[in-house]
Amino acid sequence: MLKTLIDAFALISTWEVIIAMFAASVYGLVIGSLPGLSATMATALLVPVTFYLSPIAAIATIVAASTMAIFSGDIPGALLRIPGTPASAAYADEAYAMTRKGEAELALGAGVWFSAVGGIAGTLSLMILAPPLAEIALSFSTFEYFWLALLGLMCATLVARSSPVKAIASMFIGLLVACIGIENPGGVPRFTFGITDLFGGIEPIPALVGVFAVAQVMRAMLTPEPPPIPKRKFGSIMAGQWRLTKKYHWQMTRGNIIGIIIGVLPGAGADMAAWVSYAMSKRFSKEPEKFGTGHVEGLVEAGASNNASIASGWVPSLLFGIPGDTIAAIAIGVLYMKGLNPGPTLFTEKASSMYAIYLMFIIANIIMIPLGIIMIRLASHVLRAPRSSIMPVIMLCCAVGSFAIGNNMFGVVTVATFGIIGYVMEENGYPVAAMVLGIVMGTMIEQSFVTSLIKSDGSIFPFFERPIAAILAAMAIGALIWPLLIWVWRKARGTAPAGASAR
Amino acid sequence: MRLPDRVTGLFLVGLGAAAAYGGWQLPPVPGQPVGPNVFPLVIGTGLALCGLAIAFGIGHSFEEEEELIPVEGDQPKPAPPGRFYGLRALLPPALLLFYVAVADRLGFIITAALIVFVTSTALGARWKLSLPLAVLAPIGVHLIFSKLLRVPLPIGLLPMPW
Repeated sequence: MLKTLIDAFALISTWEVIIAMFAASVYGLVIGSLPGLSATMATALLVPVTFYLSPIAAIATIVAASTMAIFSGDIPGALLRIPGTPASAAYADEAYAMTRKGEAELALGAGVWFSAVGGIAGTLSLMILAPPLAEIALSFSTFEYFWLALLGLMCATLVARSSPVKAIASMFIGLLVACIGIENPGGVPRFTFGITDLFGGIEPIPALVGVFAVAQVMRAMLTPEPPPIPKRKFGSIMAGQWRLTKKYHWQMTRGNIIGIIIGVLPGAGADMAAWVSYAMSKRFSKEPEKFGTGHVEGLVEAGASNNASIASGWVPSLLFGIPGDTIAAIAIGVLYMKGLNPGPTLFTEKASSMYAIYLMFIIANIIMIPLGIIMIRLASHVLRAPRSSIMPVIMLCCAVGSFAIGNNMFGVVTVATFGIIGYVMEENGYPVAAMVLGIVMGTMIEQSFVTSLIKSDGSIFPFFERPIAAILAAMAIGALIWPLLIWVWRKARGTAPAGASAR
Repeated sequence: MRLPDRVTGLFLVGLGAAAAYGGWQLPPVPGQPVGPNVFPLVIGTGLALCGLAIAFGIGHSFEEEEELIPVEGDQPKPAPPGRFYGLRALLPPALLLFYVAVADRLGFIITAALIVFVTSTALGARWKLSLPLAVLAPIGVHLIFSKLLRVPLPIGLLPMPW
């Protein structure tokens, strides 16, 4: 154990890792703070850069950039009432109300401080949860893997803020995209329409860049530019945070726990963690009437929650290759590329690399405090950059980055195509994250499904015979049919409550 | 591009049916009960069922309307309602395809400069901003990707000195 830890330290204390981490942190802070550019987009655009780094440095950039971007989305939320990332949307109103009351420092300070605390709590959960789960996972056969992957996909649809049927449809579209290519049980070209470039299948990363980055530039073409931020000087940012920590320690803990749980659920991620935690905070608050008037309590809980979910989202990713959220989906791609194939054996065979990942998360969350304070002070300058100067650069990065993934122009075509697909889907209420998960997990689901069917000689009964498989199957099937059941139930009662919530 | 649920639902039915039919056509693996055809069949069927459910409005009541945060103070003028205004959204993917078509001939710098200029102008930048940006941004990106990361970017008509 101690030796592994020392090895892990040696792995991350190289100049390459330190520089990569620092640069990625600054990058994450800037991208996250610009409205319209999400943490997922920041991470996806980083992938081509990771090709040229050592495995540990590559993962360091992903860890640092995603951690920072989730926090810095709070900055324009508080100052402009425009959340930088969707994960900050839940409490942007509240933070802005605080700014108008003259408490911008307290709001932003709470953002950086409780994000750091949440991030560290999430990392601890990763350290504690992952190894025992890896023990259990070692006994899993393809039957369990199939149900687990299906359950992961279903979670993505359960938590979507749109119609669950549309979310399931999105997931099927993703799985269908994953069918393209010759990597299938028969090794025959499937859905390639004779196009040689499609033989290798659709890579998840260009699809992600298209769906999250190009579609965003497309939306910017039709929406008015947000107003520039007023110039202001900030007082002390961290003053009063310790007092808040003592006063709201229970809210902070609850936020951490909820963030961890939501992070571990595949497909949910930081956005959902923030929404749920903010709602919980209001529901159980002693002074719920203060919510919406510039009250810091919800910020504490939701800020802690969204960062906690980032680290715990790596638990299913590292163990099963099932991403906790879209950022973890990118991370899985990078892990595979760097020879750190996700799976329970990672914890036994590459233990020092695992510890290095934990350490990087902790370091990222610690350096977030000083870097975050600097970013807040510089925010009025960074946020004044007009959208018409940022979006063109994003476009260039999309083109070059997607080209770099395979050094061929087909990647650029993929990005453009998925930009259109993502834009149309989002406009019509189909959650794109569910499709992305489908693309990432399609091959794995098909493999475990077909291998299981071959093992069982075409019979479906063995899918339910092993105890864990049966439990997972019941959960996955339940998740699949619940919207239908509720719909039938409502029809039977003759009620269709307006504005019913999916959560 | 907001379409009625009935339209998107029926489109998905068509897509699912096509996928299932395409899967059906694939050759089975001899001596093996399941081959490459099973998965597309399952997915296609599922997609078609979802499409039907969407077309008939099942699950619609779960949808939450997107909350738009209104901006205080001077509201920017809403978009001028031209008939083809919505087509502006297609500009980014069109520019990417333009990159694919001409980058090898014109080279990275020139193509990228055109893309940057058009995008920033379309987003409302004046030429005082978009022209210098179109010159500097491609050089910066080239420096990072070609020089530092060794991505082989097309040279074309305007080679860079590094």
